[in-house]
Amino acid sequence: MELEVTIQRYLPEQSSEPFNQSYTVPYDTSTSVLDALTYIKEELDPTLSYRWSCRMAICGSCGIMLNGKPMLGCNVFLRDYVQTGMLIEPMAHFPVERDLIIDMESFLTHLEAVKPYLISKDSKESVQSFDPHNQTPRQLDKYQQFSSCINCGLCYSACPQFGLNPEFIGPAALTLAHRYNLDNRDAGQAERMPMINSEEGAWSCTFVGYCSEVCPKSVDPAAAVNQSKVTSATDLIFSLLGGRS
Amino acid sequence: MQQNKQLKRSDEPIWWGLFSAGGVCFAVFLPSIILFYGLLLPLELVILDYKQASQWFFGFWGLIFIGAVIIFPAFHSLHRIRHALYDVKFQQKTLIKWLTMGFAGLLSATSLLIWVIGS
Repeated sequence: MELEVTIQRYLPEQSSEPFNQSYTVPYDTSTSVLDALTYIKEELDPTLSYRWSCRMAICGSCGIMLNGKPMLGCNVFLRDYVQTGMLIEPMAHFPVERDLIIDMESFLTHLEAVKPYLISKDSKESVQSFDPHNQTPRQLDKYQQFSSCINCGLCYSACPQFGLNPEFIGPAALTLAHRYNLDNRDAGQAERMPMINSEEGAWSCTFVGYCSEVCPKSVDPAAAVNQSKVTSATDLIFSLLGGRS
Repeated sequence: MQQNKQLKRSDEPIWWGLFSAGGVCFAVFLPSIILFYGLLLPLELVILDYKQASQWFFGFWGLIFIGAVIIFPAFHSLHRIRHALYDVKFQQKTLIKWLTMGFAGLLSATSLLIWVIGS
């Protein structure tokens, strides 16, 4: 069986404009889009560039737009696109470096901005202490769903608000912030709140919900962002009453 | 990202709070209001004369009615319109905010003023 796969190419040294190129790829029931890209690079056109690593939806490297929808290349199969055909483009809302390779710099700085790590009450003590931080299953349940993010960035390509305003901290970063805020070992919420409270934080989200639809790990960023809105609104009331800022 | 920039707290929780309150009112009160004024009353299945209605409206329950059926739903609807306009790329955020929230505020103030004058 063969399927025509169209890829949006961008080769800055050849042309300042992207262009579409089609390839005929043999496939069977287990051929993923990533397999197809590998076949094209190895057998048909070595100039094609794309990112990949694990091939099993763990590393989050092979994000693409497939017929306009953000997806992981390894997680989707040619057999499902026989009727519709296949157009592969680089992930939306990010600058393209070459072919399917995007510049993820802004995504990474957004992640960094929410301090996505455990901040203990007394940092000195935690560095010296090697005691385990025990948690009950209930304490784990609170944040576990939001901790499965693989930083693939698909939610940023899905988010129309991030598309309109790249300063928006975005679904994955807000989800990570929420994940650490919900962790009973963490004491860093006060440090994260100014970011969440700002216009570029949780409040740029208009609850479109497409982020949760495309998430390959079912993290449900839309829920995390909206729970963060409640946290932020509570934080405002506290600050008006003269409590924590 | 502006990690070093002083981050300004958004005033959005206030509008979002009004929006949420309006959502509850829309779900809980508006269907019965539509049923009452849109169906039962025109079909004369219930009788409500002017005197009875005005007496009721300009009392305490009228104030609750204004909040639950006019003020909160107004802020709810205009919040939706405000953000939908931004979504369809009307990017004058401040202007849209003033127009929509201003209209909701004006509607609220007018209905309250009518209540104050009448009661």
